[in-house]
Amino acid sequence: MTVQLTLGFAQLTDCAPLVVAKEKGVFATHGLDVSLKRFASWAAMRDALGTGAIDGAHMLSPMVVASAAGIGPFPGEFTTAFTLNLNGNAITVSTAVFEAMASMAPETITRRPLSAYALKMLIERRKEDGKEPLTFAHVYPHSMHALELRYWLAAAGIDPAKDLNLVVVPPALMVDALAAGQIDGYCVGEPWNNAAVVAGIGRTLITSGEIWSNGPEKVLAVRDGWANENHETHLKLIAALTESCAWLDDMDNRLTAAQIISTPEYVDAPFDEIVGSLTGRNRQTGGELRVDLPDFNVFHRYAANFPWRSHAKWILSQMIRWGEAPDDIDTRIVANQAFRPEVYCEAVKGLGIPCPSTDEKMEGVHSHAWLLKDATEPVAMGNDLFMDRRVFDPTNIDGYISGFSIRNQTSRLGASDTNQISSLAK
Amino acid sequence: MTSPQTPVSSGSSSILPSDHQGSEKESSSGAAVSAAPLRVLLIDEDPERARQVEEGLVTNAIVHTTIHTHGRVLLELISKISPDVIIMDCNSPDRDTIESLRLVAQSNPKPIVMFVEEEGSDRMQDAIDAGVSAYVIDGLKPKRVQPLIDTAIARFRHMDNLRNELKKTKDDLAARKAIERAKGLLMQHHGMTEDQAFSSMRTMSQQQGKPLKDVAESILTILGMLMNNKDKGDMS
Repeated sequence: MTVQLTLGFAQLTDCAPLVVAKEKGVFATHGLDVSLKRFASWAAMRDALGTGAIDGAHMLSPMVVASAAGIGPFPGEFTTAFTLNLNGNAITVSTAVFEAMASMAPETITRRPLSAYALKMLIERRKEDGKEPLTFAHVYPHSMHALELRYWLAAAGIDPAKDLNLVVVPPALMVDALAAGQIDGYCVGEPWNNAAVVAGIGRTLITSGEIWSNGPEKVLAVRDGWANENHETHLKLIAALTESCAWLDDMDNRLTAAQIISTPEYVDAPFDEIVGSLTGRNRQTGGELRVDLPDFNVFHRYAANFPWRSHAKWILSQMIRWGEAPDDIDTRIVANQAFRPEVYCEAVKGLGIPCPSTDEKMEGVHSHAWLLKDATEPVAMGNDLFMDRRVFDPTNIDGYISGFSIRNQTSRLGASDTNQISSLAK
Repeated sequence: MTSPQTPVSSGSSSILPSDHQGSEKESSSGAAVSAAPLRVLLIDEDPERARQVEEGLVTNAIVHTTIHTHGRVLLELISKISPDVIIMDCNSPDRDTIESLRLVAQSNPKPIVMFVEEEGSDRMQDAIDAGVSAYVIDGLKPKRVQPLIDTAIARFRHMDNLRNELKKTKDDLAARKAIERAKGLLMQHHGMTEDQAFSSMRTMSQQQGKPLKDVAESILTILGMLMNNKDKGDMS
């Protein structure tokens, strides 16, 4: 019996797992008749998922964590059992900012990962000169983009709350806003970093994989209630997406994938503009224009699809750090609600895909490839370093957060979110 | 665009104090309400619909409309006019920018939350179906905002209906033309009467399960082709 489903996706290259699963007939072989619906905003996709207009969504991983924590519309209603991809974002600044950084601290601008130290010097110089603060953009308040941008800035001593303006700009308008001088830099997914570099108006300084290697980017978000009532369908969906991600993992298939997703109904961008994101070839980072980053998008290897609760907890730790979640929130309960590794393992059991036997790991301890032995079969893992070499121990989140000197000391939550969080906790 | 600059003291009427007319004279005729009119920011890329919605709202609120403002410039506009309510197309990419105002920042001491949150999912479904999203200052009484949102939903729907009707009228007209021409061809080349031509088309439509317009278009294509071939044959 065929089950009909509608999944939401955003116009970004990492929609590839969903699009490939549909176009290559993977959903169909799992008995799923899937329609894909494109959304122009994360808020609209969230509302569609929350009201049941769609059954699943290509969603920012922090959006699910925020919901599980009780923040925003649909508190406690979203969950995920599948990570769609790791890495995939980058920070780009205007050519003017890049040149100013290079002239102020030439020795730091050639080192990778590129520190924001030169940017800090530029910010201080501008303060002395009485110029207005720089403005940086990201794509959504609860996004890896926002957390990565803040992490990178703060690692160099820049306080995002005091030293510059942070704004949200729709991805498709980023390049225009940079060109018009409305913003000085941004953190966004592809093809929007590449577009600024190709247009000659910006330089990419660092990729998200260099800020935190192999951090979770998008997940397959579903409603908690839907997952309970449609367990078998959920398992089929995960199995299909796992196959699609495994296919995408083969670099030989990435050109085909780029062709499929470049079409008008999906990313609707020229093949040339999106192929680099998928193949990792001729990428830009560290101010360089042609760098090979084979892990720019990770779709399957390194147990990428397994929703690590340590990933959810890291996201939550950063939300607490920036005053976006209360510091007394029960991180274990939130992580358990947000990420469902046990459902993932149940779904892939029959596919011969190894599954980790633990739902958490230390993050920031592996500087190169390693073997995860605590699994149904050993899994080759990638590195998991943070750019500042901090270690995240998921059992000591308080200690981790208190180690950051730059953070929001007061809550940034409004009254309704504060009420929602406390009533969900009861 | 309506200017939101005229200050309104509490106890004034609910009539819009537009910048041209001033509010003093009108306030005596309006029913007394306890609070100043709400400030509404209307964001819509569709100028025609924006005008419709603004027209519906101005009697009860101070409306500021913007068509093409995004990102940083949109945030600056919001901080300048400090709206109590933001009404927008629910599919606008600008929604993510608005959502960032949910977190308190120095520039934004009063976070903005989605209006429908307290109202349950029926209300939300209603707004989504109409394509309307509304954000209000956290803590604002739903009762005060409800009539404005309802008006916006009604006007969004009205525009939708108008457009659907227009499209239907155009489609109907095109269908009628095709049917008339197909009928004419059948009469001309098959010696049918008008009634015969029409009833044979209707029979085909029923048998094939296709709209009459599609049948007429097929006839036009096929007979057109045959006539072309015949013309060529005659000439040789």
